[in-house]
Amino acid sequence: MSAVTERRHVRRDPVNALLGVWGIVVFVFLFLPILMIVIYSFNDGRALVVWKELGIRPYVDALDNPTIRNAIFTSIRAALGAALIATVCGSLAGIALARRSGRWTIGFLALLFLVLVTPEIVDAISLLIWYVRIGGPFGPDNDILNYGLFRLWVAHSIFATAVVTLIVRARLAGLDEALEEASADLYAPPAQTFRKITLPLMMPAVLAGALLAFSLSLDNTIISSFVSTANASPWPVYVFSSLRSILRPEIAAMSTLVLLLTLFALALVAIVLRRGGQSGEEAAAMIVGVEAAPK
Amino acid sequence: MAAGTAESDVGAGAERPRRRAPRFVLASPAWLLFIFFFAVPVLFIFWYSFGYKPDIYRTIATDQLSFDRYVESFSDTFRTVFSGTLQISIVGTILCLLIAFPFAYWLAVKVPPRWRGILLGLTIIPFWTNFLVRTLGWLILLQPNGALSGIMQDLGLIGSPLDVLDTREAVQLGVIYNYLPLMIFPLFVALDRLDPALREASKDLGANRWDTFRQVTLPLALPGVIAGLLLVFIPLTGDYITAAVLGGAKGNMVGALVASQFNTAQNWALGSAMAVILILMILGSVAIFAVIGLIGRAIVRRRRRVEIEPVTA
Repeated sequence: MSAVTERRHVRRDPVNALLGVWGIVVFVFLFLPILMIVIYSFNDGRALVVWKELGIRPYVDALDNPTIRNAIFTSIRAALGAALIATVCGSLAGIALARRSGRWTIGFLALLFLVLVTPEIVDAISLLIWYVRIGGPFGPDNDILNYGLFRLWVAHSIFATAVVTLIVRARLAGLDEALEEASADLYAPPAQTFRKITLPLMMPAVLAGALLAFSLSLDNTIISSFVSTANASPWPVYVFSSLRSILRPEIAAMSTLVLLLTLFALALVAIVLRRGGQSGEEAAAMIVGVEAAPK
Repeated sequence: MAAGTAESDVGAGAERPRRRAPRFVLASPAWLLFIFFFAVPVLFIFWYSFGYKPDIYRTIATDQLSFDRYVESFSDTFRTVFSGTLQISIVGTILCLLIAFPFAYWLAVKVPPRWRGILLGLTIIPFWTNFLVRTLGWLILLQPNGALSGIMQDLGLIGSPLDVLDTREAVQLGVIYNYLPLMIFPLFVALDRLDPALREASKDLGANRWDTFRQVTLPLALPGVIAGLLLVFIPLTGDYITAAVLGGAKGNMVGALVASQFNTAQNWALGSAMAVILILMILGSVAIFAVIGLIGRAIVRRRRRVEIEPVTA
């Protein structure tokens, strides 16, 4: 026993060293495939997986390819719309759950749980059937909007709404309701209390939820491949379909550009969150949608 | 809309009576979305699973309902794919936990706080990289004539070029990689919340490192472990993208069978029946895990009680 306790004070503790090594091994594991994509985005050959020579042609070709450009723009538009729907619906539901719970909560949480545990392929086929059945704005008759895009917005926002709801609820549940009561006691009208007290306090959660919803939409392959239409086909669907023909280095090039953009956006959000008084750790936790340890 | 939000239940209502919106009103957009675009469409899947495919041109008919599609689903091929999927997802979930736990512990407890934010940020990057693109990274990495194969041959680890693509092992590796972040985050949060003073107290009371881990850290991290297991197991079981990239013909998952019924065979009834089986398979596994967990907890509690009672008596 004493040997163990004493060893704790020795700087080179074997267990800690092992944990450190494991940490590095896991980091290498996590980054190796991403590194491969970045390296092979400079592969000046015909096939992605066969290295030929170093070059920037994949980047030129990727930006030149109208199908790839369309796919990226579709993805971004789909993600913006889905994030907007999910953030509005999810934030409101989160407020309702945290501040106005009642008998309805049980039913709502049950539905939320079902949304979260249903495998994506089931959502995909059920939405396909549903869209075909109801038509309307989700069918070719929709001449105001691109109905493919409309399908993606709704399809991508369902799971994301559930996630945003939980994040916002967790944030509000961790905040003292007395702040809002004090505001009301000081004769602030409800709208003002909401705008000046509740909204700023829940903002980090709303922002984190919106980001997560955006990213979930960008990432979505299974649902998109079922519900998207030929003229609104997002980026992952393009990549997935090229698996069946030939994987070209342009895919790696465009993915690297998307990765850079994502990192830039993440850094921006981290800065915003830190300015809002979150520690780096809290900001990072917020971005993945988990509530950091209460301090 | 905002009128209902900021009011408190006790505070303002008494002083300024006003009409209050019903409690669930704020949640109604989410309700509508979930019911109209989730619950109802999924119910259709259940309904369609009892239908049949009338002829080669039509995808579904429901004038005669039967369990025939379920019987049809349990063909030999489906059973093989079914058990294969379950094996990949159970092994994958357990390995994710074993890989992620020491890593999350190291990140939450051992790493100096000033580094923690940056390292956590780094673990987020793979999570934010496109799922499919990450999988393509493995496709490049595992090529028989690729760099990894060359290095492993030079080191004498393997005699011939790496031959792992289009095998179940490649799919297993791919899913572990793809779902690992979903295990790391909840574990990190659970371990990060743990007050270091609890471990100190355990040590001061004479527990060694293993006892502290077993009796203090692990039980308190359990909610994170459970969250991680669910977050990994559920999407992993339904996933077929990873298998399509890395497994070739051998990487068939239940999800791929469902998809092919809709994409190629155009048999919506059979595809729906398979989807329902997939749902039941996931819910059934989760229920079995939960029962095992509850029994385990009961046993541990009973054993603990025996240990403690003589002290309090």
